[in-house]
Amino acid sequence: MTRVADPVLPGLNVSRRTLLKTAGAAGMAGLVPVARSKPAAAFAYEPYPTDDELETVVTSCAHNCGSRHMLVAHKKGDVIVRLSTDHGGYDGNPWGTDTEELPQLRACLRGRSYRARLYSPERLLYPMIRVGERGEGRFKRASWDEVLSQIAEKMVYLRNTYGPTALLDQSYAGASFGVLHKSDQIAGLLGRFLGMFGCRTSSWSVPSYQGTTFSSRITFGTIEDGNEDDAFAHSKLIIMWGWNPAYTFHGGNTFYYMRLARQRGCRFVLVDPQYTDSAAAYDAWWIPIRPNTDAAMLAAMAHYIFVNDLQDQEFIDRFCQGMDAGTMPAWAQGQENFKDYILGKYDGQPKTPEWASGICGVSAEDIRKLAHLYATTKPAALKASWAPGRNAYGEQYNRMAATLQAMTGNIGKLGGCAEGVGKAWHAEAIAYPYDQFANIWFASIKSDRWAHCVLNYPNVRREEIGLWPRQDQFDGLIPNIRGIVWQGSDWFNQLTNINKEIRAVRKLDLVVCMDSTITPSGLWADYLLPVATHFERHDVALPWYKGHYYIHRPKVIEPLGESKTDFQILTELAWRLGFGPAYNPRASRDYFRFNDAVDEAYLRSWWETRVVPHQGVDISWEEFKRRGVYKFKLPRIHVAFRDQIEKGVPFPTPSGKIEIFSTVLAQTRDWTRTQYGYPIPAIPKWIEPFEWLGDREKTRKYPFHLISPHPRWRTHSIFNNIPWLRETYEQEVTINASDAARLGIRTGDIVEVWNDRGRVVVPAYVTERCMPGVLVLFEGAWMDLDENGVDRAGNPDFLTLDEPSPAGAFAYNTVLANIRKTQLDHRPVWDKLATARSYLFRRDL
Amino acid sequence: MAVVRDKAKLKEAILRVKREGYKPVVPEMQLGFIHNNVDCIGCRACEIACKDKNGLPPGPRFRRVQYIEGGTFPEVYAYKVNMSCNHCAEPACLPACPTGAIFKRRKDGIVDIDSTLCIGCRRCEAACPFGAPQYDPETETVKKCNMCVDEIDAGRKPYCVMACMMRVLDIGPIDQLREGTYETKARGPHDRVVRQVKGMADPELTNPSIVFVPHSKGVVE
Repeated sequence: MTRVADPVLPGLNVSRRTLLKTAGAAGMAGLVPVARSKPAAAFAYEPYPTDDELETVVTSCAHNCGSRHMLVAHKKGDVIVRLSTDHGGYDGNPWGTDTEELPQLRACLRGRSYRARLYSPERLLYPMIRVGERGEGRFKRASWDEVLSQIAEKMVYLRNTYGPTALLDQSYAGASFGVLHKSDQIAGLLGRFLGMFGCRTSSWSVPSYQGTTFSSRITFGTIEDGNEDDAFAHSKLIIMWGWNPAYTFHGGNTFYYMRLARQRGCRFVLVDPQYTDSAAAYDAWWIPIRPNTDAAMLAAMAHYIFVNDLQDQEFIDRFCQGMDAGTMPAWAQGQENFKDYILGKYDGQPKTPEWASGICGVSAEDIRKLAHLYATTKPAALKASWAPGRNAYGEQYNRMAATLQAMTGNIGKLGGCAEGVGKAWHAEAIAYPYDQFANIWFASIKSDRWAHCVLNYPNVRREEIGLWPRQDQFDGLIPNIRGIVWQGSDWFNQLTNINKEIRAVRKLDLVVCMDSTITPSGLWADYLLPVATHFERHDVALPWYKGHYYIHRPKVIEPLGESKTDFQILTELAWRLGFGPAYNPRASRDYFRFNDAVDEAYLRSWWETRVVPHQGVDISWEEFKRRGVYKFKLPRIHVAFRDQIEKGVPFPTPSGKIEIFSTVLAQTRDWTRTQYGYPIPAIPKWIEPFEWLGDREKTRKYPFHLISPHPRWRTHSIFNNIPWLRETYEQEVTINASDAARLGIRTGDIVEVWNDRGRVVVPAYVTERCMPGVLVLFEGAWMDLDENGVDRAGNPDFLTLDEPSPAGAFAYNTVLANIRKTQLDHRPVWDKLATARSYLFRRDL
Repeated sequence: MAVVRDKAKLKEAILRVKREGYKPVVPEMQLGFIHNNVDCIGCRACEIACKDKNGLPPGPRFRRVQYIEGGTFPEVYAYKVNMSCNHCAEPACLPACPTGAIFKRRKDGIVDIDSTLCIGCRRCEAACPFGAPQYDPETETVKKCNMCVDEIDAGRKPYCVMACMMRVLDIGPIDQLREGTYETKARGPHDRVVRQVKGMADPELTNPSIVFVPHSKGVVE
């Protein structure tokens, strides 16, 4: 046994041999050395610490996807050697427990790669100060004291010089999603910090799902319109409208419960420009649809249901407002109702399947067939996903879908679906102080309008930036944004029209990035603050979207380098700015160095004063910490609006009904004084988007519609640098085979995709699984600009439009573009050798 | 990262192979894999769990979820074939190894490589019809799936199986998996299993210990 040990530890691939040598091989000595003439018997990696020889620590993943799963760290000393996931035994049940009621919380590929992210070469370990031009990516290492002093000084200067809107809060749910260390616009640590400091412009529209948020609030009065994931096992029909849970997972076990549904005879339909892996796994009937035309197809389905009298009229009469003339409120008689709009009473155009077919590209026959299937199968789940809502007038699609869910009586019933946003079980989400200082802001704008605001200040009208109305002297005040703070956010890479952002960021006086990884946004910052990952701080994880459980997240290892938690950094800054005790009441002045006891106190208090009394949990904080996970057994499967339907509890809307005809929208007179800025009809309607394949003028120059869905192999931009994940895929643009043949493009060819806003270079993936005229380029690639401003990494947000829908929906999927072969090189960020293997194992028959 | 090899020990091993020749191992019980080609969403959590468990650099992929698609728009189909090492009854890799580093366990038929004897000659890689043994340029040795024998010996299942979000990948005694008598979530209530799917090497070559729930387009006549 004479192998050479790795000199460095810890590294990405911690050598087991090194590990044993350095950590001491007590109990393992019998394995070394191997007797000389013995036949082969050792297994491939001996000597090797087995799981049972390592310390086991239950924790979870922590990034901004639609799920939250268990990770179990197996560590030696202060090094995580490997990760496993739930085996069903941690919460006191026998090993292997995995029932429909108590399923295991198995992590996805991203979660399983966390060790590579934790120890990645891109890990930010020390505070850094920019030395080159902004965006050049040149930094020097600095001390915490130096960096925080400079930031504090500049913050005070900007606030005193430019007023209370000078600093833009662009925190987001990047990698900081826990009950204590949260990055978020509404409930986040940064928002509270900047609010107390007295200088904050907030970003109110949610990039992923503002269209559906608006729709759910308007229609149902709440965004908690979701069923728990186990409810999906009880549907007879599931229509996945732009929904790809095989990629997004969306909840602890949604994808798995759908498999159970299929085994019980559920039929599946996919309405999507792509034949996704979800369609394949659930054997769905695929209906390819032109992007951004979903509202038209849904309107035609409503038309079919009305003219064939297949609607659930009893449900409509009891629960809906404005579905038809009979359900219009007395005060609105004479205004447009939904049924008469569909029948063409107002504009002379009945919204027939033939009419819709010309818009959405789906045959009238298929529209009728799907409408009939949906109206006659009970219970049926029309899952109206977020992606088709990330469009110009995306809110109209979501409202139209909610209307169909209501007219078929599939709301509040097991196996039906009112989603929508889809938030279901309500977690106790906040363990840090949440008081009168939470979410204070002096201006709040549509999140993707910041660059427009910066570039055009002060000649900006309030409706252009979606300025949220206020009842005080700050109402209508156009923010004079002079600085940005990113916390758990890579928004510079992730918002729309990056070229415009680049022009805007150059005008700022202060850009601060708090992250655990050097991100593409970070490269444009003045200060990089290294944040401890969730393996390096104490917290509790909650399900992001669906699922009912808490997972304990102890400090598994000490923070790497000089990284500190978000809460430590902001508390220290607050002390320097004079409001430390108010910002973090449990902390003393040395919290920056010693945070363990304070964090423990917050978490224990959260458990004992909120979780135990409010949620009927019967185990102590100590017992929870010992187990690492608490899974709730709900008395019955959680279905949104069950009480409204079964017990007649009013919906939380102004009328107490499901508002197809919206009271709020119908009574709005001056749209410029709303956060929307522009008119929104009181009933859902098909409205022609800014850019789409039906636009004969624009498609002459840009004949393809580009969509940018969420990839499976990263969460937005998180994990883009992980070699294991890069091996499983390639950033590439998907194009239909007939389109590709016409343009002479074959799989693997490097192409450029461009429009007036930008240009990107990526390999092509030619397939029959994408409808003609559509290009698919997954969001989140780390931008990599060449000297001509061309993005060689293939980030679609160089092509997207920074003009949101009136209701605030990002128009990520409202993009016309063109494509051609190119001589330019694609830069895949990671080495080509690794990614090239994905060719070997994919897609040939 | 390359390893320094014990030349004396290797010489001894090579002589032993020459002296003793190839004696097939008939295991007391053969473990094998089952994978549901249809219900698999292709997420590759199993692949990443395997990479992490085995500490692999970019390059070797012990477990490979292969994406297969076909048809013409809009009548298309897609499915997944998920394979690592099939721990064959008659492994082609084993007799190809000049140092006797590859061995088959008598108690459960798992085929493994003794890394202290591997010289990185890559003959096994060439011999295997399924691409299971793979060269790790960092250590200059060949590595492959060993069904997580450490987990098996501890009474648990391998990392890939325990990672499967859809519960479509499992292990069990291959006889029972073939007969459909082994209880597993990988097989749905109406599913049948097959030994071979389209595009896969002839199972007669090595008698691989794996069964699939096939996609209708993947069935071999």
